[in-house]
Amino acid sequence: MKAWDLMGNRRWLYLLSAGIVLASVVAMAIQPALGRPVLNWGVDFTGGTLITLRFQDRTVSTGQVRAALRPLGLGEAIIQKVQETGDVSVRTRHLEPEERRRLEQALRERVGPFTVLSVDDVGPKIGRELRNIAILGVAVGLALQVVYVSLRFRSVRFALAADMALLHDLLLVLGVFALTRATVDSSFVAVLLTVVGYSINDTIVVFDRVRENLQLRTRETFPQLVNRSVLEALVRSINTGLTTLLAIGSVYLFGGPTVRDFALGLTVAVLTGGWSSVGVASPLLVDMTLWAERRAGKAVVQPAAQPARAAASRRRA
Amino acid sequence: MRSHTLRVLVLLALAVASFQVVFQPVRLDGWRPVGQPPQPRLRLGLDLQGGTRIVLEAERRPGVEVTADKVDAAMRVIENRIDALGVAEPLLQRQGPDRIIVEFPGLQDPQRAKELIGRTALLEFVDTDHQSLPRGAEWLPDNRRVRLPDGQVVPLPKKVVVTGADLRDARAEFDQQSLQWLVRFRFVGEGAKKFEDHTGRSIGEYLTIVLDNRVLSSPVIRARIPGEGVIEGSFTADEARDLAILLRGGALPVPVRPVEERTVGPTLGRDSIDRSLRAGWIAAVAVVLFVTAYYRLPGFLASVSLSLYALLVLGLFAALGATLTLPGIAGLILSLGIAVDGNVIIFEKLKEELRAGKTLRAAIAAGWRRGLVTILDSNVTTLVGAAVLLWLGTGPIRGFAVTLTLGVLASMFTAIVATRWLVELCADLGLAHNLARVAHLPRRPEVAA
Repeated sequence: MKAWDLMGNRRWLYLLSAGIVLASVVAMAIQPALGRPVLNWGVDFTGGTLITLRFQDRTVSTGQVRAALRPLGLGEAIIQKVQETGDVSVRTRHLEPEERRRLEQALRERVGPFTVLSVDDVGPKIGRELRNIAILGVAVGLALQVVYVSLRFRSVRFALAADMALLHDLLLVLGVFALTRATVDSSFVAVLLTVVGYSINDTIVVFDRVRENLQLRTRETFPQLVNRSVLEALVRSINTGLTTLLAIGSVYLFGGPTVRDFALGLTVAVLTGGWSSVGVASPLLVDMTLWAERRAGKAVVQPAAQPARAAASRRRA
Repeated sequence: MRSHTLRVLVLLALAVASFQVVFQPVRLDGWRPVGQPPQPRLRLGLDLQGGTRIVLEAERRPGVEVTADKVDAAMRVIENRIDALGVAEPLLQRQGPDRIIVEFPGLQDPQRAKELIGRTALLEFVDTDHQSLPRGAEWLPDNRRVRLPDGQVVPLPKKVVVTGADLRDARAEFDQQSLQWLVRFRFVGEGAKKFEDHTGRSIGEYLTIVLDNRVLSSPVIRARIPGEGVIEGSFTADEARDLAILLRGGALPVPVRPVEERTVGPTLGRDSIDRSLRAGWIAAVAVVLFVTAYYRLPGFLASVSLSLYALLVLGLFAALGATLTLPGIAGLILSLGIAVDGNVIIFEKLKEELRAGKTLRAAIAAGWRRGLVTILDSNVTTLVGAAVLLWLGTGPIRGFAVTLTLGVLASMFTAIVATRWLVELCADLGLAHNLARVAHLPRRPEVAA
């Protein structure tokens, strides 16, 4: 089997990654031009009331619902109909209990009898808090993981490369959510942290291979060594990614509409987490190391490899 | 010879203990064990079983200090009110310094409960001299002016004779003469004395009954009242009953306001359970098929330890008394991926060692030794992320973090310990050839060693 020289062709990897990042940024940037916010923020973040109803008459149209709400001054409400179930969701600003009772009464009288499937009513303050928690959580999680990776690999280069891969993954997930208009609610925070977890996890398995190989041999050039490590870790990456996707895929297909956006986020997380280890983290590790070698004017010895190297030279002696 | 019997017993004991905790096929009746049909006995979140969750926040108003003690006291008052309503298994929790979370599992129509728990219910008997006030009139926050129902504002200082704090009893009654619902109350101690003194002094004047600054009724005092009386206010039966509950439970020491409410109807909850269960089964079967097809006998052994993993996670979950939510199920499924990953990492290393010409036993030792480092490093980073979520998250995010953490811990145990024990057991049982097929190598004599 001829080994692929991925690291020798790493500019193609860079090109593809840059393309993904660019596409994600464009997907977000065009949203305001289309007259909508970059992401489809749910009530969890914006505050507001989201009521999902199942009318006895499943053919009730959003127009009928809107007409019933207009006299209450809620004509601006976002009214959607779930195609597969016929359920209707009404999203308004944050309603006081009294206002909500009037809303339900108006719908019952003017549209028809229904059962309430779910209510999410979030005050604006809670929404702000959740947004802060999301940002803080991702930031703190990232920082801690950088510290851990730097410690375990005794080199900031590994941590930096892993982080660039992570940044790429986060951008892609944001881009996909901007494009598909999937709802960004509190489970989106969980998606983001899954991206952080899975992406780093996958990169570490590859880097762990690099670390192992650094301790074994000294004859290869660094790009060759990284290339071999990536290929060796590839079967594991694909198998793990595949099994995780099998699990998440069944949630996406059979888990029902409530978890579909969540499963979509996780799917993207697994795919991009696997790709970025090969396409972003590894080539960056190669170039950062080569750059450091050139700066030092000599072949830089990997700090983590020092003991093995010393042992090897003793054996040769 | 390793002590395989002991190892198998340990794994079996873990499996049986977890099964007992989760499905409780045996229950203790006193000291006598009784068998019962096994079914999952996990505490389900409101999103799965249906119900309402309300977050109340103590309102900071000038002059009213919000302290943790007051919020705790308010929580007890709310608890009493809910008890009086007879709602099944309500759950109250304080969150942070100034919030109270109230959960009603399975409650169909939370409207009435919501109105009850959010009311401050400060009852005041106000001396309004010769002034009678209509029902619905409201004191402005400065307590010096009253806004009448027609919107007109008149100056009238609020002279409080006695508050509901000294109330002993209150109950709804139907008055046969006026054919109206009313609330009968009784004062005790200091309050009873004040009440009696005032009514004795002010015969012919009006005593206005005010709830949360809003006038309920404004009767004229006809005689000295020895600490007992009625509140009339053209109530419906429900209104009278609710008011009695509020007065019996006492006023909230701080006013509270709902800042978040989530209701999941029982239909949607049931739907979600069914769908998640089905998704879970399909995921499990797909993963087992894939792993066994790709890694043969070791893959099958991994599937066995994955089943143990699933039991362990659920067992830990039930033992901790954690609540399973929809995001929690997602966390479980994600950690299933991580559990598989542990096995895959080790098997890949095992393959390499076998291909490098090592004997099966040496390859097992080396494979697990190298795999351990990788698994630790990759899982610790996931645990760091989950820990941040646990620390910051509330509600749904926390549910995800809890199952992910438990899942990662259980997956490390099953991949590092359980799978290894099973593989070594099979090696000693003379299945070495089958195990070595993981490397897709032709049979070699030394492998059987």
